[in-house]
Amino acid sequence: MIMEEFEPKILGFLCRWCCDLPDLRGILETRHPPRFCSTEVICSCGANEFLVLKAFAGGADGVLVGGCLAEECRYMRDSLSARKEIAALKPLLEAIGVSSERLRLEPSSPSESAMLAEKLGSFAQTIKQLGPSPFSRRRC
Amino acid sequence: MKGDMYLAWSSDDEVVKRADSGGVITSLLKFALDSKRVDAVLAVKARDGNRYDGIPVLISDPEEMIDTAGALHCVSVNIPRCIKEYLNGASDMKLAVVGKPCDMRGIIELVKREQINLDNLLLVGVNCSGTLSPVVAKETILKEFGVDPLDVVGEEIEDGSLIITLKDGTTKTKDLKELEEKDYGRRENCRRCEVKIPTMADIACGKWGVNSRKASFVEVCSDKGAQVFDEAVRAGYINVEPPNHKAIEERKRKEQEAIESALQWQETEFAPLKNIAVEEKFDYWQRQFSRCVKCYGCRDACPICYCKDCILEADRGAIEPGELPPTIMFHLIRIAHVMDSCVNCGQCQDVCSAGIPLARLTFMLNKELFDIFKYEPGMDVESRPPLRSVTDKELTMPGVELSF
Repeated sequence: MIMEEFEPKILGFLCRWCCDLPDLRGILETRHPPRFCSTEVICSCGANEFLVLKAFAGGADGVLVGGCLAEECRYMRDSLSARKEIAALKPLLEAIGVSSERLRLEPSSPSESAMLAEKLGSFAQTIKQLGPSPFSRRRC
Repeated sequence: MKGDMYLAWSSDDEVVKRADSGGVITSLLKFALDSKRVDAVLAVKARDGNRYDGIPVLISDPEEMIDTAGALHCVSVNIPRCIKEYLNGASDMKLAVVGKPCDMRGIIELVKREQINLDNLLLVGVNCSGTLSPVVAKETILKEFGVDPLDVVGEEIEDGSLIITLKDGTTKTKDLKELEEKDYGRRENCRRCEVKIPTMADIACGKWGVNSRKASFVEVCSDKGAQVFDEAVRAGYINVEPPNHKAIEERKRKEQEAIESALQWQETEFAPLKNIAVEEKFDYWQRQFSRCVKCYGCRDACPICYCKDCILEADRGAIEPGELPPTIMFHLIRIAHVMDSCVNCGQCQDVCSAGIPLARLTFMLNKELFDIFKYEPGMDVESRPPLRSVTDKELTMPGVELSF
């Protein structure tokens, strides 16, 4: 029996002002993890506790939130509140047995997209090592 | 003045006789009503004299105040929620409220969320070393003390033991720790609660430090409280004397002891939740949550939940309508919304018909969030809940200095 290699499902909530990941695919010809998909949010704070938890409950193995640095946020303080939100969700996930490493906030800026792509790669590696999320493990 | 401490007792003999420790609160509130400083008092009373059936009562007649004299340990009414839901958040009447530290903290959290008007409130807090759930209390008294629960006229939690007073004046004592190891004794959240003296209220009263005198140790914690208290003393409702050094020390020592025991309980209660293997943790909580009957009791009882249009309602699209048990999302969303401000009142767990250890999980998370945000819920009206606000200070700090 050939075991299929586990490819983690990763959902990205990417701030429209600083994360150009989809574009990058064409320009730099970087390769994203195969099961990575992303959605654009107006600000990283759009990835609130509800959407992040829903992503996990819907079967995501990892959630990546990309947002501006606090001082570069277009909406004054919202990227900072996103940062707090994510910091608070980590203990919650940990408490119910979902490793907090599955949720990551990556500060980024428009000129750092290539770096973000690299970070995405290493994030995918981390998730790969962790294996499927307990949410999806139960489903199968 | 704010920060003043007194040993105080009521000047009314009838009140002293009926109250447990000097009747200061009863007389103070009677003065507040008499002098029209408040329109009504929200206090807790034993319904039909049954100690295990405490109900919140709204009193506007000063003569009825005496019915609420005396401490009740076997009740845990939801005072903050009561003010918010049934008294319009004290927006249209001046109210004096008596309650435990967790009630006071719940009120302050609701004040921050603009659900209660603090200007109209006079908060009178009582020291609390724990409450018992009525059913457990009856069982404890019947099985462990071997007496009829209805014969009990007073309970006391003092120096790590539970003392009950019977009708004929005799007292019986049992070690609280022994009782609690058998799952009798205080409510779970009370055991691990570390806020024993309600300094966040306007006036904090308690019997620690009075050395078995019929009096209360009063600490005035705000200017509003100082004004009312001083006037009550001047009007002759309350007798005061300054506490000596020994009394203050004694009070501090007892508080410290209670806090230490609470910290121990926190450790013993959180250890199993933290030490389950990661793979089993998810299954454990899934099993717990799968008992949920979706009665929305936890949401409705929580003093912190305040949205008029809750996202957990069937028509909001977040939770599948009619699905039982609800997905784990139901609980995660609810906990995510309240965990930064949990005051450990234990109401969610009290009302849970499936016995899910909700308060334990929420409070554990709250403690972990305290390490990140350094936010103590319900202690200070000025500090904002960390997940709902960003302060100017945080905004001007460079990213490296932020620890979250």
